[in-house]
Amino acid sequence: MIAKETAARVLAAALRTGADLAELYVEDDTTLRLRLEDSKLEEAIRGVDTGAGVRCFFGDLVTYAYTDDLSEESLLRAAEAASAAGQGASSAPKVIDLTERKSPLHYPIEKTFDALTIAQKADILSRVDTTARAYDARVRQVNSGYIEERRKVWIFNSEGIACEDDRAFVEFRVGVMAQQGEIIQTASEAFGGQLGLELFDRNDPIAAANQAAEVAVRMLDARPAPAGEMTVVVCNGWGGVLFHEACGHQMEADFITKGTSAYAGKVGQRVANDLITAIDDGTIPGRRGSLRFDDEGVPAARNVLIERGILVDYMWDLVEARRVKREASTGNGRRQSFRHMPMPRMTNTYIAAGPHDPEEIIRSTKKGLYIKSMAGGQADIARGDYVFNATEAYLIEDGKLTAPVRGATVAGNGPKTLEQIDMVGTDWALDAGYGTCGKGQTARVSVGQPTLRIPLATVGGTG
Amino acid sequence: MDYLQLANDVVKNLAAHGVAAEVMITDSRETDIRVDRGQVEQLAQNTNKGMGVRVIDGGRVGYAYTSDFSPRAVEETARAALELAQIATPDEHRALPDVMAAPDEDLGIYDPELEGIPTDQKVELAKKAEALALEAEPRMIQAQSNYGDFIAHVYMANSNGLSASYSRTAAYNYIMGVAKDDSDMAMGFGLSASNTFREVDPAQVAREAVRRATLTLGAKPVPTQTASVVFDPFIMAELLYYLSLALTGEAMQRGKSFLIGRMGKEVGSDKVTLLDNGRMKGGFASAPFDAEGVPTSATRLIDEGVLQAVIYDSYSARRDGARPTGNAQRESHRSLPKAGISNFYIQPGHDSPEDIIASVQNGLYVTRIMQTGGVNPINGDCSMAASGVWIENGQLTHPVNGVTIATTLPDLLNNVTAVGSDLRFIPLFGSIGSPTVRVDNMTIGGTA
Repeated sequence: MIAKETAARVLAAALRTGADLAELYVEDDTTLRLRLEDSKLEEAIRGVDTGAGVRCFFGDLVTYAYTDDLSEESLLRAAEAASAAGQGASSAPKVIDLTERKSPLHYPIEKTFDALTIAQKADILSRVDTTARAYDARVRQVNSGYIEERRKVWIFNSEGIACEDDRAFVEFRVGVMAQQGEIIQTASEAFGGQLGLELFDRNDPIAAANQAAEVAVRMLDARPAPAGEMTVVVCNGWGGVLFHEACGHQMEADFITKGTSAYAGKVGQRVANDLITAIDDGTIPGRRGSLRFDDEGVPAARNVLIERGILVDYMWDLVEARRVKREASTGNGRRQSFRHMPMPRMTNTYIAAGPHDPEEIIRSTKKGLYIKSMAGGQADIARGDYVFNATEAYLIEDGKLTAPVRGATVAGNGPKTLEQIDMVGTDWALDAGYGTCGKGQTARVSVGQPTLRIPLATVGGTG
Repeated sequence: MDYLQLANDVVKNLAAHGVAAEVMITDSRETDIRVDRGQVEQLAQNTNKGMGVRVIDGGRVGYAYTSDFSPRAVEETARAALELAQIATPDEHRALPDVMAAPDEDLGIYDPELEGIPTDQKVELAKKAEALALEAEPRMIQAQSNYGDFIAHVYMANSNGLSASYSRTAAYNYIMGVAKDDSDMAMGFGLSASNTFREVDPAQVAREAVRRATLTLGAKPVPTQTASVVFDPFIMAELLYYLSLALTGEAMQRGKSFLIGRMGKEVGSDKVTLLDNGRMKGGFASAPFDAEGVPTSATRLIDEGVLQAVIYDSYSARRDGARPTGNAQRESHRSLPKAGISNFYIQPGHDSPEDIIASVQNGLYVTRIMQTGGVNPINGDCSMAASGVWIENGQLTHPVNGVTIATTLPDLLNNVTAVGSDLRFIPLFGSIGSPTVRVDNMTIGGTA
């Protein structure tokens, strides 16, 4: 899309006022979104976004300018705007070596997006709608959605990075609303990842529709969640939202270099009990958070964050690595689109498997709350506090799952929770691939964990 | 390029296929500045444009968008919209709105001076806010200051004969500050935003960030109990956002509202009057017409506790045989229009925030909440983590953190016992205004 010679000229222009590093990021993105509600295909949207951003580094000052016009003239104008803050003489070398780098990572697509027509994709949504409505007369509303996105990126920088990436994402969702008298409950199921339409060979949308309908109907009998401190058992897979919110964000380097994270200055120290090993791995094939290169042209990596309770490293991008004169980024520099500057972000983040039988974890809990599904969570970086809201939860009474409960918020302190977790299951799993993290910008991520137990967290219900 | 002409040209070409067509073009210039420890850390200056094309063919909607305005890309976008309309399910209520002329009045949404403000002056404003926050309090360890602005132009044309445009500006400064003492570290947010550059007040940003960051230092949980809660305007505005999702015609038609079937009935205490006004002078969400070209208007949704009206886009209005309220919104040119709030607010009362706090025997003054999906406009659940200051005998006593607060949305509305005079609009979830509000009988989850 952009010739190397053009990129070299744009980088030279960006270096004209003395920047110590210049970067050109180019993006070509095509998206298809289908959404069905009220048994009608209501949204059929196709769109194209193309653009480029030029970034200049002057010590700790980072400047950025982007444009949605990829002509060389427009790119040079962006380079001029980004470099306007500099006051020095040109720092461009005579030749910028842009030898293309290949990533060792391969995420093969088995079935390209054109393996099904748009009408066939819409038909999947229709069948999902029919299935969920047929499940129970109390099912009152169904929405289902399909998203495919193909994003090609090209990244060049004045230190010789030249690479391209071709990312394909596909995602399916179904949401079901059930009603009985004045009580309304909803449930949803979703799956996706960085792959092609083989997604539907590996996951069954009809089964997802039945599952969502079953949960929505079952939750009609839910009683209000209790309030106060209690033991909380969190499910495997999507339960990994817990670590993402409780600790993951606090291990992103921008909060570390500024000293606003509880984990700043703690490398090599014990920050969790030795049941806890936590990893951010951007290299898992097919996963939603996986990358060949991050959005700064650094190959994705498997980075151990916590090893048996000891803090190993944080997640870095170029800006934060340069700020502390660290040699390399960890491949965690990500951006929502060419309209955004990269920042340190998680990829696929999880707590590794532990020694406990997941059934034993519930059996050994006298009284508590089991979280089967949650809506996502939020973190307070400075305090290390986290919260997540359960969408499907059950009381644990005498080692057994009993009544479903609604409206449960679970709140706690991340660093404390990591020290307190007393049981970690053998049933490690990643989520089904529908997570999106918001940190001013959105990023596709995955989370994971085995079933685990927090001896004491604050539960907020009205019961 | 004359974008209104371009929009009309695309509409004309599509109309020749015998379909209804609508084109929206947006074009903006933005500045973003981040200052930390007296230094500019990030500086971005960008231009942004996009086109969204909606085709309605016999009640079937197709939509396509592009950021590339080359003739080839525009042609492909128009064709994609035509093709996608063939896939969609027909719905007799899907049609373009009738064209109505928007009243000619100055809504105070465009600042002609903004274009001429040099970047240096914006940087100075951001630096000033940070310096004021750090100087005000030795416990403030960070007051990273952000400044942003944009100048945006919106052009709309449709095959019913709509051809209109408007321009808007916005400028804002915010700080996410961090305060620290021996035992605790807490964040505090300060914000000043306006359609007009001159009205952005860095001193107010600093004051708010410092107050919120230091207010809860050294916080501890309280025991589990039922008590009154006094919400800071910023927090109540967030809750109002979720409430607004239950107040659209579409949510009612699809059963996705805890207020379904309650039209004309009492749904809250008589202190609760909720309004939406897309023509508020100087409002962040004010515009002459909505995202479908329908003139904006004012709607009284809840009047002294009685549910009176909902907000509509043209589709949901047609389904109810009602008039559209000019509330079609879209996130960007990438989205279809859909009903949503404009300037949405709770009508202020007469009590000062101090009087409201003084009226509480035992309760929590809440200055920060965290939740994701805990406030649910469909089933009415309302549960979140909170921090703030404990109130005893009308006095603020010790800071509180690590607790949850919960009620249901119907109970929240019924238990509003005081509404302050300090109405404040927060442009974080659209444009939502709230004063300090007291809600009784909430469950506080804390220590045993």
